[in-house]
Amino acid sequence: MVGLLWLIPFLPLLAAGVIAVCKRPRRRLAAGLAIGAMGLSCLVALAAFVASLQGHAAAGPAREYLNFSWFEIGSTSVKLGWVLDPLTALMAVMVTFVGSLIFIYSAGYMASDENFTRFFGFLSLFAAAMLGLVIANSLLLLFICWELVGLTSYLLIGFWFHKPSAAAAAKKAFITTRVGDLCFFVGMLWLYSQSGTLLFYDHGAGCLEKSALEKLAVQTTFEGLALSTVIGLLLFGGAVGKSGQVPLHVWLPDAMEGPTPVSALIHAATMVAAGVFLMARVYPILTPDALTVIAWVGAITAVFAALIAVAQTDIKRILAYSTVSQLGYMMMALGVGGYVAGVFHLITHAFFKALLFMGAGSVIHGCHEEQDIRRMGGLRQYLPATFLTYAIGMMALAGVPVFFSGFWSKDEILHAASIWPVSHGPFLLGLVGAFLTAFYMTRQVALVFWGKYRGHQPAAHAGPEPEPGSAHPRKKKSAAGHKAAHGHALPHESPPAMVWPLKILAAGAILLGFLGTPAWPWFHSYLTGHHLSLELGRLFESGTLGVMLLSTLAVAAGIGSGWKLYGRAGQTRELPPDALETFQPQVFAVLRDKFRVDEIYQATVIRAVAWGGEFCHWLDQFVWQGCVRILAQLTLGLAWINRAIDELLVNRGFDRVCRRIQDSGGRVASLQDGQVQHYLRVIGVALAMLVLLLAWGGGLW
Amino acid sequence: MISNYRALLALLAPETILVVTALLVLVADLGLLRGRDPRRRATVAAMLGGLGCFLAMAFLLQPPEPRNLLDGMLVVNPLTQLVKQYLLFITFGTLILAVESRCTCHVGEYFALLILATVGFMFMVSSENLLMIFVSLELASLSLYILTAFARQTLASAEAALKYYLFGGLSAAFMLFGMSLLYGLTGEIHLADIADHTRSLGLDPLLILAMAMIVVGLGFKIAAVPFQLWAPDVYQGAPVPSAALIASGSKVASFFLLAKVAMVGFSGLEGSGGWGQFQAGWVPLLAVLAAFSIILGNLAALAQQSLKRLLAYSAIAHAGYMLTGVVAGGESGLVSLLYYVLTYALTAVGAFGVVDVVEAQAGDDRLSSFAGLSRRAPLMSFCLLVFLLSLAGIPPLAGFFGKFYMFSAAAGAGQHQLGMLWLVILAIAMSAVSLYYYLQVLKQVYVSAPAPAAGRLVIPLPVQVVIACLALSVIILGCFPNLLAGKLLLAFHGGH
Repeated sequence: MVGLLWLIPFLPLLAAGVIAVCKRPRRRLAAGLAIGAMGLSCLVALAAFVASLQGHAAAGPAREYLNFSWFEIGSTSVKLGWVLDPLTALMAVMVTFVGSLIFIYSAGYMASDENFTRFFGFLSLFAAAMLGLVIANSLLLLFICWELVGLTSYLLIGFWFHKPSAAAAAKKAFITTRVGDLCFFVGMLWLYSQSGTLLFYDHGAGCLEKSALEKLAVQTTFEGLALSTVIGLLLFGGAVGKSGQVPLHVWLPDAMEGPTPVSALIHAATMVAAGVFLMARVYPILTPDALTVIAWVGAITAVFAALIAVAQTDIKRILAYSTVSQLGYMMMALGVGGYVAGVFHLITHAFFKALLFMGAGSVIHGCHEEQDIRRMGGLRQYLPATFLTYAIGMMALAGVPVFFSGFWSKDEILHAASIWPVSHGPFLLGLVGAFLTAFYMTRQVALVFWGKYRGHQPAAHAGPEPEPGSAHPRKKKSAAGHKAAHGHALPHESPPAMVWPLKILAAGAILLGFLGTPAWPWFHSYLTGHHLSLELGRLFESGTLGVMLLSTLAVAAGIGSGWKLYGRAGQTRELPPDALETFQPQVFAVLRDKFRVDEIYQATVIRAVAWGGEFCHWLDQFVWQGCVRILAQLTLGLAWINRAIDELLVNRGFDRVCRRIQDSGGRVASLQDGQVQHYLRVIGVALAMLVLLLAWGGGLW
Repeated sequence: MISNYRALLALLAPETILVVTALLVLVADLGLLRGRDPRRRATVAAMLGGLGCFLAMAFLLQPPEPRNLLDGMLVVNPLTQLVKQYLLFITFGTLILAVESRCTCHVGEYFALLILATVGFMFMVSSENLLMIFVSLELASLSLYILTAFARQTLASAEAALKYYLFGGLSAAFMLFGMSLLYGLTGEIHLADIADHTRSLGLDPLLILAMAMIVVGLGFKIAAVPFQLWAPDVYQGAPVPSAALIASGSKVASFFLLAKVAMVGFSGLEGSGGWGQFQAGWVPLLAVLAAFSIILGNLAALAQQSLKRLLAYSAIAHAGYMLTGVVAGGESGLVSLLYYVLTYALTAVGAFGVVDVVEAQAGDDRLSSFAGLSRRAPLMSFCLLVFLLSLAGIPPLAGFFGKFYMFSAAAGAGQHQLGMLWLVILAIAMSAVSLYYYLQVLKQVYVSAPAPAAGRLVIPLPVQVVIACLALSVIILGCFPNLLAGKLLLAFHGGH
């Protein structure tokens, strides 16, 4: 099976290539190719999953890999390869499955966009890169794909690049993640210099295998830190950038400027989880010290982002901050030693967050490109299918007990945090985060789906534009088109291509949870290779039950308070001021301004960089330019001399000879004149010079 | 000694097939197709030639037992067979280009000479004996002189051929003189035996003279400064397929020969070209040629307005880069040199193919004729982009890994580690300069607006296929350099 693993990224890559060369109006072809390739990839991924399940039946987690030499320099050869183990199989299935659904959804969502083919080309390229990242058995290959997903993320966030906010968001995403990538790169180089290989598994010689790990653990760097701690933290730096952890989270909410399917696929389900995946992949390298840092960063991110989400009004931004917060949970899980819990939450989160984003897309689509939840309301009646699926997603995210996947995965994380010997801080922060998550999701759903519709009525349409970002020529046109078609501006349900993926994902958001309950921890046993058994009794062990009750309490409190504050807020045509805002206006303002992190960066880092840029510009202008000018003049002069010698002396001279031959009617004798001797002279002089050179060096004179 | 002629014939099968093919082409063209449409004749000739190439290639696929017959007159080992395969591939591409080039009405002769030149190249690759080296060199050279002169309707072609011939004749004379001196000194004509004698002889004055003279002869073949004077005129004046073959096949064979003569024939006389550690020998000699070629080729290319002349000067510069590979010596030097020269050959044939296509319709090859090509022939423009960026050494194209392998081999070469660093730094700096003139061309192709009346170019399908295949192979070899480099390493070890 592992021999066919390359097909998984290759098929979308092929689709991307074909779409890139086909003509722009071939919309159906592009969508068909992209979806078809993704579907086929999904089948291959499923086959790989089954193969890994079968291998699993033997003993321990099954792992197959295939390495090959990419190129050789002298005696060192740079190797790449791919690996099939439970982590890869799970991720590959998740990415291809969720990806296929999002591709189908996109066909509906982007139907009226003029750059439809380009969109699918980029999406396919993204899928190829992401899948390459997942199957990589080499940190180098992983890094290459990592950069490629960064690139496609940039391209897709800025898909509507004529909208200044989208272009700015794309740049911000690219540059912010670059900071993390630099750490990743340094870590990778360091790892290579110490272990001599970047392959994860290579018959005992890989960098994640025993010999290399032992070598790394005994070496220390400054302050007595183990080398593997430093390398692990550098790699974590990359994950911080990609997975939007504090302090590099700022790009992720802005990334919502991209089309909604992009937000769902890249900035919720797959790419942002790549950081978590990376940490899970290199887990053996991470030392307890490194894990402590990871746990704290994750826990702080979880609460920090959840707090911001409480005060946001843009439907996608709330989800974006929620994503940041949930990624924090996953990091925290890995940090406190709950490797399985982190990966489990990654998978379940991918399903329900993709569901929520696509639901939000359906809402936005239905409300004529409106994104502000204050101008929605009452959508329950207009978009029943969307409402139902969205509610399932919301409950899964909030962690409503027993029936929703989010509950089980979050509960496992909290359980892992509660038994972490180092500190109880992350556990408590996790509980606060769970409360906040339930609270802001209740607020969002209440404002969007309950109460009265507060959107543009035909008469009120002349009002000011809600967000500068939504003033988009194409979107305006399509919104106008909707209005013309429907004759009124009431919200409407989305087409089946958009609703069906929602339903399938909703099913996933419920069912997946049962793969990892404490009573039947299939997920755990699959990832770690432990024996699997069904024991209902484990549900009622005191530790497990206690954590479950605590998290249930937090969720209930969150939903209750959210409903109390916002459940009836939307009854009136005009929305009353936010309940929290009237209660604590200053705190609320800070939250609404996202803790002013952007402003702080603007005042410190960005200003410093700008100053640096000014300085370099000055240097360039006055110092280097002079040097370059002089050099350029010199070069030009030399080139002209060369040309003069070559063309004037040699060619023209020869031309003159030729003309003379013609003129004199073939006086062959004139060939002897000058120029042939000139040629001879060049060779002769050259020969003499060479001989002299040798003689000089040989000490002959 | 050879035990029987059948074994000899089996070893010589590829060359024999090609010679027979050349004769068949002549017979078919002069005998059967006399008076027919030249294009039809060219198609038949190319098909016959292509068939011959493939047959010969089939005989080369089997990696042979390393053999050395008749004092090195015929040396067969995996490495020579691999290089010959590539030579045949290049010739095949040239044959296809020649069909559509319509440069001559003497179709049969032209194709037969293309094939005979290839035979010459193959013997150059396969001989380690002074006599055979000279004969094969002359076979190749004489064919190329005639091939250059074939565009009889243009004066430039005749002029170029005459220059090429005079220059070539002279340097061949020097080379023969050098060889005779070498024979007089050692009494041997087999390179390995010569090396045994010269090692004990040391740097005798006569040996110095012989070495310099042989370098003159080979320097002419590879167009290294100061023996490059013929190259710009020949590249510009010769029919494009001929120029393509001179830039590709001839380069490959000559460099292989040069590396062999230097590394085998003069082994023990390397000397040192390290900065401040100068010591006479062939290494400093070639290093000086390399440095001059790199500087002069790149600078002169900056000022060119004709794309063919530009490619000629760039070829001179590339000859300089390749000489650094010879200078590096040893396994890594030879393998990186072969990787470089083989990928360069693919690129050169492709670039000349595109030039031919444009020249056929625009009438000349000035840079301005390429303005807006991307709108007139998108695929060809993309291929040109690939070729030129590969020449400039931009990843992920084959040229990048060529330079990378070669410079890392040169930097780490010799007993004085990093001794050749000065040459590497010079080469890298000058390849940065080279980017300028390659991008000048691409700017014309992609940025400038086409001439108002210019429509889409009509390009024959076979030409498109050949050029696209070449571009694709440049990309693939750039992404997976080990496909070729690994093979070369394997063949190198299989042959020794």
